Amino acid sequence: MIEFKHVNKWFGKLHVLNDVNLDIDPGEVLVICGPSGSGKSTLIRCINRLENIQEGEIIVDGVPVHDKKTNLTKLRADIGFVFQQFHLYPHMTVLQNVMLAPVNVKKMSSAAAEKISKEKLTQVGLTDKAGAYPAQLSGGQQQRVAIARGLAMSPKIMLFDEPTSALDPEMIGEVLDVMVNLVSEGMTMCVVTHEMGFAKKVADRVLFMDFGKIIETGRPDEFFDNPQTLRAADFISKILTH
Amino acid sequence: MMAFYFSRLVEIFPFFLKGLWMTTQIAFISLFTCTILGFVLGILRSGKNRIIKWLIGVYVSFVRGTPFVVQVFIVFFILPEWGIQLKAFPAALLAMGIMGSAFICEIVSGGISAISKGQWEAGTASGLTLIQQLRLVIIPQAMKVILPPLVGQYVLLIKDTSVVSVIGVMELTRVGWVTVMRIPEGLMVFSLVGALYFVISYPLILLSNYLERRMAI
Repeated sequence: MIEFKHVNKWFGKLHVLNDVNLDIDPGEVLVICGPSGSGKSTLIRCINRLENIQEGEIIVDGVPVHDKKTNLTKLRADIGFVFQQFHLYPHMTVLQNVMLAPVNVKKMSSAAAEKISKEKLTQVGLTDKAGAYPAQLSGGQQQRVAIARGLAMSPKIMLFDEPTSALDPEMIGEVLDVMVNLVSEGMTMCVVTHEMGFAKKVADRVLFMDFGKIIETGRPDEFFDNPQTLRAADFISKILTH
Repeated sequence: MMAFYFSRLVEIFPFFLKGLWMTTQIAFISLFTCTILGFVLGILRSGKNRIIKWLIGVYVSFVRGTPFVVQVFIVFFILPEWGIQLKAFPAALLAMGIMGSAFICEIVSGGISAISKGQWEAGTASGLTLIQQLRLVIIPQAMKVILPPLVGQYVLLIKDTSVVSVIGVMELTRVGWVTVMRIPEGLMVFSLVGALYFVISYPLILLSNYLERRMAI
């Protein structure tokens, strides 16, 4: 579904992605973790070309992402993206936020877009907030709207960039619940997160990155209980102790 | 004597109305074109193309760094030397357009840069084209920042039309000059001129104040 072939990327002199090779199957749930600055956010931002790469190739569902001829609008329409800071449109209601892309990218009629948007809001448990503005919602609710906004495009893949890192602790659960629920629907997901509970519960694979390199991959129970590299062991002990 | 002059002034009042009409035409035609041009330039200036950004920067700096009256002279007296001969009225419109769009460009690009990068990225990630991102996401939010200073700029532009009197356009200020030669009551004549400018500027001042209060919330 998503394939990285010898991907290299630099920010100036900083080698943010260092020969990344990766194969993600349809329906797979991949959790990516690693210290900050390790390149994990950059990795998923390359999948829908929020970032360009300098070397190598990324292929999503048969489409070379960084090819000049690739229709980016179509590619991005099939990939939902959830940001750490939500980035809802503050001047639109919750429903308008969710409907925007279906109407303007998929050219749905507003009736059809409204129908699917309301379904997705129900799925994230926010049916009653359709008319509210983002500023009137809690962080957890905003993030759930952001997930519904991604889902309204009926994507094949959902990418999550630290979806719970900007949330107060008591709101993390409600967002993770929505994501777990997505897993059970068979969505292909890449999640950058340090939520070990989530990883252990639903991830098919955990990928550990440092200095732009994939250091280790494995099943979540193996990775967290018995890491193969010193760096991964050190990282796990750090996220466990606080 | 005063009363005599006043009755003369009433007699030639239609002349003032003609001047007011000319001022209004120059003001509103140039407000309209400056707004469109200023938005286009402002949007381009907040884009990615470095050469375009640099060129617009040079243009804006030139306009901001030179007096408007000098710009009017350049358009009216220097351009003909390069083969571009304009009558006073179109020359006035061109000079106003060059000056006004530079200031509006600054206001617009300032408003756009006030919107966080995340808003662009959210639009990009959901497949919106660049134009759609601007139209649906960025500009509607930037308008809150842009509108109050934009309307303030309109008031300045209306008043700046008085400068084009130096190239002989028969607008309000020029009418004042000509009148003073026949009715040597400067205070009376230019009070009338000032009052007529005020009539077209004041509604915009009120609008600007209103917008400033509304957008502050």
